[in-house]
Amino acid sequence: MSSKLILSAKGVCKAFGLTRALIDVDIDISRGEIRGLIGENGSGKSTFSSIIGGAQKADKGTFYLKEKPYKPTSMVDAQNQGISMIIQEMGNISKISVASNIFAGRLEQFSRFGFLDWKKINREANRVLEDIGAPEIKAEMIIDELNFEDRKIVEVARAMLSDPDILIIDETTTALAQKGRGIIYNLIQRLHKSNKAVLFISHDLDELMEVCNTITVLRDGVVIDTLKENEMSVDVMRKLMIGRESSGSYYRPDYDGRCSDQVVLEAKQISLRSYFKNINIALRKGEILGFGGLSGCGMHEIGRVLFGIDKPITGTVTLLQKDRKIPIRDTSVAVANHMAYVSKDRDKEAIILNASIKNNITLPSLPRLSKKAGLITKKSETELADAQIKLLSIKCRNGNQLVKELSGGNKQKVVFSKWLGKESDVLILDCPTRGIDIGVKEDMYQLMMKLKARGKSIIMISEELTELLGMSDRILIFKDGKLSKEFMRSEDLGEKNIIEYMI
Amino acid sequence: MDNTANSRNSDQNIAIQQELKLKVARKEILNSVIPYAGFIFIIVFFTIVTRGKTVTVSNLTSLINQCFTITLIAVGASFVYAHGGFDFSIGGASGLAQLMGALLLQYLGTPIWMCVIFMIATTVLCSCCVATISLRLGVPVFVASLCVRSIAKGIVETACQDAEIILSYERFKFINNIEVKTIILLVVVAVGYYLFEYTRFGKHQKAIGGNINTARQAGIKVKKEIFLAYIFFGFCVGISSVFSLFRDCTVTAQSGSGIEFNIMIAIVLGGFPMNGGDRSKIPKAILGALTITALTNGLIIWGMDANLVSGFKGLLFLIIIALSYDRSNGKLVS
Ligand SMILES: Nc1ncnc2c1ncn2[C@@H]1O[C@H](COP(=O)(O)OP(=O)(O)OP(=O)(O)O)[C@@H](O)[C@H]1O
Ligand SMILES: [Mg+2]
Repeated sequence: MSSKLILSAKGVCKAFGLTRALIDVDIDISRGEIRGLIGENGSGKSTFSSIIGGAQKADKGTFYLKEKPYKPTSMVDAQNQGISMIIQEMGNISKISVASNIFAGRLEQFSRFGFLDWKKINREANRVLEDIGAPEIKAEMIIDELNFEDRKIVEVARAMLSDPDILIIDETTTALAQKGRGIIYNLIQRLHKSNKAVLFISHDLDELMEVCNTITVLRDGVVIDTLKENEMSVDVMRKLMIGRESSGSYYRPDYDGRCSDQVVLEAKQISLRSYFKNINIALRKGEILGFGGLSGCGMHEIGRVLFGIDKPITGTVTLLQKDRKIPIRDTSVAVANHMAYVSKDRDKEAIILNASIKNNITLPSLPRLSKKAGLITKKSETELADAQIKLLSIKCRNGNQLVKELSGGNKQKVVFSKWLGKESDVLILDCPTRGIDIGVKEDMYQLMMKLKARGKSIIMISEELTELLGMSDRILIFKDGKLSKEFMRSEDLGEKNIIEYMI
Repeated sequence: MDNTANSRNSDQNIAIQQELKLKVARKEILNSVIPYAGFIFIIVFFTIVTRGKTVTVSNLTSLINQCFTITLIAVGASFVYAHGGFDFSIGGASGLAQLMGALLLQYLGTPIWMCVIFMIATTVLCSCCVATISLRLGVPVFVASLCVRSIAKGIVETACQDAEIILSYERFKFINNIEVKTIILLVVVAVGYYLFEYTRFGKHQKAIGGNINTARQAGIKVKKEIFLAYIFFGFCVGISSVFSLFRDCTVTAQSGSGIEFNIMIAIVLGGFPMNGGDRSKIPKAILGALTITALTNGLIIWGMDANLVSGFKGLLFLIIIALSYDRSNGKLVS
């Protein structure tokens, strides 16, 4: 048995200032193992995996990789020793080519007489991209031209470059559409078959059941339990993770998709070059409207145009209030008239990493908090922020902690809560529950239902069909920049019916 | 089974947690004390090495006057630096304003209050030019402000090429009154601090500096806010140049030059982040401004050559940047 051991980590401790992220964590991984790592937001999953992946150092702990002591000095070093990692956040370097990203930190192997052999670099990069199943991404492309999903696939390529013994995948799949997920599942299978190992982090319990053959549960920085394949079940995982029983059915219980006829947001014939063409959308009062589709279908870009971030080349977006018609020219008009938008690209667009939780949450609400002479009291800010921190149980020391110190899921909660605190009437949510643990997801869905009941309207753009089916009154499926099908809420509607119209 | 509770609450882990608390608290205190300690150290150091020459009445008067000027500017510059604008036009704008004021007084006999308004208008116009160039043409602020600085400086140098402009000191002595100055300074600092910490205006600047995309998506009119920051900035520079002019009533080719660099150092010296954002604080900028002023003054009194002093300051700037610059942006993992 011990000969099959590939990685052994014993007594791992890590603290960030006051926060003890890992306490005496022991994890052993054997060959052929696909190890799921689960736990609530902020339980230490990313911290553990990034220590193994060489991105940070443990305070204490011993590591053995293939029976040799293992102490990586950087991600590149870890990769050279056989451990690659796909990180939770966006890990690209912008403004340079795909090939440069794939070979970042290891370009010197292509240098001859001090010059880089770009032909060879690009050829190699294309080979890796083709090998993992993404031949449509080309080495010469500039990384910023790619969409979210393809950028993530480039990271997968970088990770697979060195043919790793252990591949770490930190909370990546839920942000990806079918294509990206397919690529990752295939690679996992390939590693499994060739007797290597995978460390897989996700909050989607069904996915974990399907992909993994062992699961370790972390809670508050401590290993709670490790489940063998025969002990694994969604219920057990849920219970171990949040430490209490939970109902498990967190979607809407009703199948009543009717809502008022009053249209609150209308897009007429909008087009954005290379993304979508002549799209009409009418969002009604109290409606949850779902957008679904494969990557490149244009749904994310439609969301951006609806909020006034990108300008359409044809068509108009109009917000309809009682007796007013407000053309959405830019984001400031949208926000001033009670629209909200959660961007999918969290670190780049949705939060200020170097600012406190409080200042992130209060940002869109500042006009409301301003009293006479523009005064915004510290008290009103703290009250607003603390209420939101409590509502979504954001794991932090207090509202003054910097957002960049939070775990991925907790950052996402900050994004969501800043718009909840603002009291918006029309919310456009692009992958709002991405990276959020099941306990809080349940709370978020409850909140969405409450918003709906209060007559607020929501557009939910999501890669997850179950989420769309579970929450929407109406689902619009997009394909290649066109509306392909509209579904009304119904008990009989299943994923199969929908997928047909996506591909 | 439930080993979390055990593990977190075991005596050993509670002790570790306590230790961490102490460590963090110690570090926090140290970080907040260092800038003040540095300031005091400089004062004490130069008092000793110059055998008290830095604390004579005449030097203190001149020191206080310099501090007065640079503090006013630091307050205004905080708004621009907070949104990430790396402005370098101050000295040029201030010199130009002084020239304009002097010319109006000398040759047209304009009433003094009109002169003051005109001078402030000049600096506001300069900083609006910087804002317009950088926002309209999309050039970095540094480049835009460098252009404006060159133009302004060119005008001043041409005008003062042959002779300095000298006003009669006696006529304007009343402006040089220390009480008037102190009141104005306090008002500007108070208003600046209020705007910066307690209103949307300041908070928006910090948000823009933190992440311009997020700011835009939160409904902030980014361009408008940036423009407003420049107007306030120009206003502060304007007031400071009025007092600079009447302090020695002379305009030379060198008037105003060097302030921009002092402000740049002041900003980083006080611990104000170079890219702006949430950690921007006016007191940090002011403390930095006072420190750099005391340092410059001390070095000169000590007998260091003026050219060497600016070289020294450049070196100092580099060292602080190297020590404090947040490199995490370039890392692969945040
Ligand atoms: N750089 C940092 N500075 C301070 N605290 C940090 C830092 N990185 C992580 N933490 C803290 O360590 C704890 C564990 O975070 P980690 O990112 O490992 O959680 P996670 O299990 O990956 O959660 P998620 O599911 O949300 O991604 C959290 O409480 C977090 O706030
Ligand atoms: Mg994480």
